[in-house]
Amino acid sequence: MISLADLDVVTPSSLGEALEILAERAGKVRVLAGGTDLIVQMRHRMTPKTDLLNIYALDELRYVKLEDGYVKIGALTDFSTIYSSPLVRRAAPVLAEAAFAVGSVQIMNKATLGGNIVNASPAADSLPPLYVLDANLTLKSRSSVRTVPIDEFYKGYKKLDIRPDELLVEVSFKPLPDNYSGRFFKHGLRQGDAISVVNGAVLIGWDNETDTIADARVALGAVAPTVVRATECEKMLVGAKLDDETMWRAAEAVKESISPIDDVRGSAAYRREMCINYVYMTLWILSRKVKA
Amino acid sequence: MATSRVVREFSFKLNGREVKVRAPPAYTLLDTLRYIIRLTGTKDGCSSGDCGACTVLLDGKAVHSCLTLMAQVQGREVVTVEGVDPIIPQAYAQEGAVQCGYCTPGLVMATAALLKANPKPSDEDIREALRGNLCRCTGYVKIIRAVKMAAGV
Repeated sequence: MISLADLDVVTPSSLGEALEILAERAGKVRVLAGGTDLIVQMRHRMTPKTDLLNIYALDELRYVKLEDGYVKIGALTDFSTIYSSPLVRRAAPVLAEAAFAVGSVQIMNKATLGGNIVNASPAADSLPPLYVLDANLTLKSRSSVRTVPIDEFYKGYKKLDIRPDELLVEVSFKPLPDNYSGRFFKHGLRQGDAISVVNGAVLIGWDNETDTIADARVALGAVAPTVVRATECEKMLVGAKLDDETMWRAAEAVKESISPIDDVRGSAAYRREMCINYVYMTLWILSRKVKA
Repeated sequence: MATSRVVREFSFKLNGREVKVRAPPAYTLLDTLRYIIRLTGTKDGCSSGDCGACTVLLDGKAVHSCLTLMAQVQGREVVTVEGVDPIIPQAYAQEGAVQCGYCTPGLVMATAALLKANPKPSDEDIREALRGNLCRCTGYVKIIRAVKMAAGV
C-alpha cells in the first residue's frame, strides 16, 4: 500500500470553477467524489496516482427531484440519501434496493451515484437498475452539455463515452408506471459490505388484463466487461405468463448475453450458474408479488 | 509522513472544538487524527473501507476516516471516539462487548450514528447499522446487547 500524501488536491467552490479546472487540466486530474473506491485503487496501485479535483464540497450536485416528468438525481447524491428518498422508493424502488446493497452504512454515506457510474466497475450495484430504468446521463463541460443513454456510455471494460474535460452532473429517468414491478439482486461473499460476484435488476411491465408480461427488462452485472441487457431472456418473457417453465427458460437464456471471467471472487462457471439461479429466483419473487 | 509537495491548512470542528491542522490535502483523516493530532482512539484496521475500525462521524454520519482525505474534511464537523457520548462506550464495557478491543472504537461510532438517527432501534436496525464493522473475536451478540443498553431498549 502506498501513501497519497504527495498528491495535490484542488477543491473548487462551484461547479463552474470545477469545469474551468477540468478544461485547463484535462487528463491531468482525476475527479474525486466520495472517494470510497478511487482512494483504495490508488493506494493499491490499481490505478495511476494523479492529482485530484475534489468535487465533494459541491452541494449543488446533491439533489433528488421530480422535474418535467423525470426523476433527476445530482451526481454527488450519496447512496444513503437515494435509499431513503421517498421519491426514489416510489418512482424506482429497484434503484433504492440497489443503493442499500452498495456497501456498509459507512460506504452508503460517502459513495456517490456519479462516482459509481464513472468508476465503471462492471460489478457496480447502481448500474443494473439504471440500465432497466433506461437512465440518461448529463455530461457538462465548460462549453457543452450533452445527454447520453446509460447503455451507450460504456464502450468496453472501463471505457467510457466521456471527454477528460467533462463532468457527469446528473442522472435522470422516467418514474415507473404503476403496472411495473422490479427487483434488484446481488450475490456477494459477505452480507454487509462486499463487491458483487453477480448482480442484476429485473423489471416487469404487466398487462393486468391478461396477467401476461407486456415489457421485460433484465440487466446483469459482473458477468461481462460492462453491464449487459439479457435480450434473449427478455424476449422469452414478453407476451408470456410468469409460470415456472417460462421462468426457468428465460433464466437459462441469460447465458446468451453474458461472458463471465474467473477472478478472486468466483469462477466463470460459478458466475454463470449464480446468474441463472438469481434471475430465476428474482422472477419467482416477482411472480408471487403479482398474485398476492 | 511521505514527502509532500503541498501542505495546506484545514479548519474543521473536532469533537466540538474548532481546530486548524496543517496537512497534505490527500493525507487521510485517519492518519491526520492519529499522527498529527495524536488522537489515537480511532483505529486503522484495513485501510480499505472493509473493516469499519476507523469509523468517525463526518457531519453526523458514519464514514471511514481511512477513505476520507483532508481536502474533504475542510469546514466540516468530525466526531471521534474521544468525543462521543460516554454512555455508548460504557454500555460496551458493561455488557462485556469487548474482547481485544481493536474494533470497538469503530463500533462505538457506528452505534453513535445509529442512535442519533434512530434512538430506539430494533435488532434488525442494529444489525443493518453495524454491518460494516467487523469483529473477529466475539459473535456480535454482546455488541447488539450493548447497543440496546445504550439506547435503553
